[in-house]
Amino acid sequence: MNTSRFVPNETPCGQTRREFLWQAGGGFTGLALIDLLSRDNAFAGELAAKQQHFPAKAKHCIFLFMNGGPSQVDTFDPKPALSKYNGKTYKGKVKVGSNGRPIGHLTQTTFEFKNRGKSGLPISDIYPNLSQHADDLCVLRSMYTDTAAHASGCIQMNTGNVIIGKPCLGSWLSYGLGTENENLPSFVVMTDPRGGPIGSASNWSAGFMPAAYQGTMFRSEGPPLLNLATPKGTTEKQQRRGLDLLKDLNTEYVNKRAVNGPVDSELLARIESYELAYRMQTAAADAVDVDKEDRKTRDAYGLDNKLTADFGRKCLITRRLIERGVRFIQLYSGGGHIEDTWDGHTDCISNHKLHAGETDQPIAALINDLKESGLWDETIIVWGGEFGRTPTSEGVDKPGRDHNWHGFSMWLAGAGIKGGQAVGATDELGFDAVEKRMHVSDLHATILHLMGLDHRRLTYFHQGLDQRLTGVTRESHVIKDALA
Amino acid sequence: MNRSTAATLTVLVCSLTHAAEPPKQVDYVRDIKPLLRNKCSTCHGVLKQEGDLRLDAGKLIHDGEVVRPGKPNESELLRRMTATDKEIRMPLEGSPLSADQIALVRAWITQGAKFPAGEPIATSPEQHWSFQPIKSPPVARVKRNTWPLNEIDHFVLARLEEKGWTPNASAEPGQLIRRAHLDLIGLPPTLAEQDKFAKNPNMDELVTDLLNRKGYGERYARHWLDVVRYADSNGYERGAAKPEVWRYRDYVIQALNEDKTFDHFILEQLAGDEMHDANTNTVIATGFNRLGAWDDEPADFALDRFDQLDDIVNTTSQAFLGLTMGCARCHNHKFDPLLQTDYYSMVAIFNPLKRPQNGRRELSRYAATPELAAKLKVRDDMIASEKAALRTLKDSFAVAIIEAGESQLPQDVQDAVLAGEKRNDEQKKLVAAKLADIDKATDSKLNKKQRRQLVVHEERIGELFKNLPSPPQGYFMFEASPTAPITHLLKRGNPSSLGEVVPPAVPRVLVSQQPKMLAPTEFTSRRRLSFAQWMVDPSNPLTARVIVNRVWQWHFGTAIVRTPNDFGLIGERPTHPLLLDWLAQWFVHKANWSLKKLHHLIMTSRTYQMSSHARKEQFEADPDNLLLWRHAPHRLEIEAIRDSVLAVSGRLSRKMYGPPMYPYVPKEALLNHADKTSIWPAFNEDEASRRTIYAFIKRSLLVPFLEVLDLCDVTQTSPKRKVTTVPTQALTLFNGNFVIRQSQHFAKRLVREAGEKPEDQIRLSLRLSISREPSDRELEVMKDFLADQLAEIRTQPNAKEKTEEQQRFEALTQLCRVVYNLNEFVYPE
Repeated sequence: MNTSRFVPNETPCGQTRREFLWQAGGGFTGLALIDLLSRDNAFAGELAAKQQHFPAKAKHCIFLFMNGGPSQVDTFDPKPALSKYNGKTYKGKVKVGSNGRPIGHLTQTTFEFKNRGKSGLPISDIYPNLSQHADDLCVLRSMYTDTAAHASGCIQMNTGNVIIGKPCLGSWLSYGLGTENENLPSFVVMTDPRGGPIGSASNWSAGFMPAAYQGTMFRSEGPPLLNLATPKGTTEKQQRRGLDLLKDLNTEYVNKRAVNGPVDSELLARIESYELAYRMQTAAADAVDVDKEDRKTRDAYGLDNKLTADFGRKCLITRRLIERGVRFIQLYSGGGHIEDTWDGHTDCISNHKLHAGETDQPIAALINDLKESGLWDETIIVWGGEFGRTPTSEGVDKPGRDHNWHGFSMWLAGAGIKGGQAVGATDELGFDAVEKRMHVSDLHATILHLMGLDHRRLTYFHQGLDQRLTGVTRESHVIKDALA
Repeated sequence: MNRSTAATLTVLVCSLTHAAEPPKQVDYVRDIKPLLRNKCSTCHGVLKQEGDLRLDAGKLIHDGEVVRPGKPNESELLRRMTATDKEIRMPLEGSPLSADQIALVRAWITQGAKFPAGEPIATSPEQHWSFQPIKSPPVARVKRNTWPLNEIDHFVLARLEEKGWTPNASAEPGQLIRRAHLDLIGLPPTLAEQDKFAKNPNMDELVTDLLNRKGYGERYARHWLDVVRYADSNGYERGAAKPEVWRYRDYVIQALNEDKTFDHFILEQLAGDEMHDANTNTVIATGFNRLGAWDDEPADFALDRFDQLDDIVNTTSQAFLGLTMGCARCHNHKFDPLLQTDYYSMVAIFNPLKRPQNGRRELSRYAATPELAAKLKVRDDMIASEKAALRTLKDSFAVAIIEAGESQLPQDVQDAVLAGEKRNDEQKKLVAAKLADIDKATDSKLNKKQRRQLVVHEERIGELFKNLPSPPQGYFMFEASPTAPITHLLKRGNPSSLGEVVPPAVPRVLVSQQPKMLAPTEFTSRRRLSFAQWMVDPSNPLTARVIVNRVWQWHFGTAIVRTPNDFGLIGERPTHPLLLDWLAQWFVHKANWSLKKLHHLIMTSRTYQMSSHARKEQFEADPDNLLLWRHAPHRLEIEAIRDSVLAVSGRLSRKMYGPPMYPYVPKEALLNHADKTSIWPAFNEDEASRRTIYAFIKRSLLVPFLEVLDLCDVTQTSPKRKVTTVPTQALTLFNGNFVIRQSQHFAKRLVREAGEKPEDQIRLSLRLSISREPSDRELEVMKDFLADQLAEIRTQPNAKEKTEEQQRFEALTQLCRVVYNLNEFVYPE
């Protein structure tokens, strides 16, 4: 437990813990309390549900991570000027591309933008199904980040910082809000069968926080959690009998110690953790058992279509996890390198057709499903990658696009979001965020806000600093235009 | 209209416009204090008092006469906060207070500007305890003078007696030997060791024996690796392995086993290349400077350079001095009297260091002193020219043989060789790939004269190697010149915003006079050596305190200063300040910086040997054992857990040192990685059965077994392991491959050493794992368990395929699995 997050804290290097204790404690003997608060032991202390800073719009967050960096000018940010200057050399100020890759000409999109829904929000025809939900989407057109490389880009999108070792958004949410269901992890990550994101574990690490807040990998096939299944060669009866003996012996030991005085809570917590693990075996397996879903649902998510089966399954599991109270779920579309991700260096057109094709129907189905089940009102969806792509081609007359971190699009939808609109703008050609520029940390501040947390008050004391998801050096702002 | 009238008017206007939601009841602690701290305390706080005004405590605000209770409009505080004139408006720098914040201050004053009594007021930071010289306190006097075994006990008992408390009785010999073994070597005692100690529970002998074992270095090196952010890879996209970095790990193990004095240990890690008696080992020790995470594709190269320096400064200051110097990178430290200049002066000390790299690829270097490295450079240049001459000769012989029609090489290879300098890309590749074949073919056809020509060069190469043998390669940074680059202060930490030039210096608050910097040698600036020598000077108030405090934590689970990396103003105060100083003095002057002597002193104290039992009164009043009324139980680190599992199963490999091993990682855990097929080598059980300190630590893929059980943060200095208790740990230890596999080995061992009788097997299983006999009841329930398991196994369809022996073995394996999961196994008493 660390309640220092409730103390308003505007400047980087907030208050001292001692002061805090004095404030909180009054009658407590100083030092004892200090240690009490700094210590993380019992399960309940780490993941028990906690109170928000203010009433939340949302209880759950789904982050659809388009790994590799989708092109804004091919998806959500139409640029008629690109057609006008198609084939011309870019002469603007923005540094084009990443790390010495060849720079080609300005290249118009091959996809057709149409105004969708009642709002008329433009979306390219790469997303026929998602377009039906145009009125729910709030496209953030002026996102920018600090790096042109995948590793530091992914890590920044997840932790707010390009340097590894910081806790992820999901960790901050688990730390700030706890879980609603102790039988399941509060922060779940599902990666792509082609591989994980570049930077790997740094993308779901709890950094300097206790490991209890790190993302838990869920697999969409087989036992969802590592070591979840009863080991091969052990029957369920043997398993339960083993746990019973363990509980018996551990309890006996506790009783023995209790003769002489109180029992250390860590020992009791550890006994309880085995029972929770046992319940998790059932609860997690049940959460991913999509065979229980009817035909209509399976079809809606595209489970029987090879193209959409994997992401569809993950989206369906996501809904089932949300129903069960999981706080933060991150799904990766694309994994490994280059064309196995949205990283369309060589052929952005077929690349995006593939990855959009894999995700379009499942995302649309997820939105529908959440609406039907009433969960839409308590869930937010975030869509986007670690950066965008250049409006120029990579190499002259080539269909690829390079990394662009100066301006790119993401979208938000769901609880507390004002849909059917685009906020901010990139320049005429789609390189640089020019209107209402939004840094990754602003996005994080907004997500925390929607979940009932003030990014300035959600702090964790580490290395002499009250650390924050949005960092201690940059001033971040909630993107108010996105809010309903 | 004069200025003050204008300001007053502004106040009125503001108060009218923003009267919106006047807060009901303002709480100074909740609402006002944090606000003033954030907006005002940089200039009006404990570190700086512009206009002699401090706003960091209620009493000081009143003393400063800037509030008139009940009369906000007559209060200077509010007047200055709401002024529109930028030269008057507070804060002078930074954004003004918001309307809501002003309304809060107004309401607070209106409601009487109250603050609770007893609000602590920070004293001048220069007076902070840890910046003062280490005292030599007399040994504390106690009433019950039969209890203390050594000086430590006097200090501990004196505090307890003040409180009217008694310390816990001593632990049982069985508990003590287990505690000492796990503490010092990280492995449980064998049966023979248990029996020996039971007969003669002599702690002095036991500790001396354990300190002389190799396992001591392997156990305590891991503690040190936490502090120095050790890992085997860089992290980020490629997560490349740090070449030869394991030699640094081996250096630490060896240094501890040899009881290298801690002052030397510091000197070698910071400046082992600059010492007058530098050698291969001391150069490898400077790997310390290069252990941080590193992005080979940084977003901003200038910033990246300062991030690397920050990593070194931050780690060095926390690890050795207990100072969070990193907080002063962008501005003066907010709490400690550490200036931004101090930070950049420390950057200046490390700024001459260079990272050996070839673009994205990291390079190792000869682990050689700068003098030797210079000679090796000359030697290698000569070898290179000899090799080039050899190559030319060999090529010409190959051509001659082909031209003579005597070559049996494939035609395309022959053509490629003949093409010489006109080779196309494909031919170049072909020649490179087939070079060994070509040379072999050439070699078989050489005449005597040709051979002699070659031998001349080969002999010269041999001679060069013989005259100056190569030291091993190592992983460290180096100084390429005795001239240090100029270091600027960076405004707001921004590399493109250069401030004043700063000299190399030590934090100003810690010295009355800057230590003299040594003159550069022919090779290096010797800034690091100067700095390290200041650190280990006995007059340094921090170095000795910081290390004895760490050692205390490694023995007791918690330290005397419970923030071992932060001895500054927001760190914890010592629970036993006199003991800490006495230990630090003793360590430097009596033990001559010997860690082994310190371990021995601590472990032969009565304090260390107390039982872990909780007594009601003490537990309720002091749950965190601040007064040391007991030896509080604490969970073993994952390395000690894993190593103990292996030791108990009989499978622990005692192979020491060398390149790292790769523990088992389930295939499923690899699927989440960008390079899922190449990220982790195939499993080799013998190698993986080595002690955990030899496990490869990959920053982008931590072994799940280690990570889930609270391995430290491997990207930054880590003062203390976190202890969490979550269900995924239970899943890992109960269902995971490692424990299941070791349970089988354990069961085999039980059959081998205890025979067929269940009672004997059960007895042995507990003696090996938790160093005690089962109680009668435990014996009964464990026997019942074996019977039940056996019965269940016999109901299985495949039961008939198994022999009786196999069935019993499977049941026993289930028992072993439970034993490994006992609380007692991971929480030694």
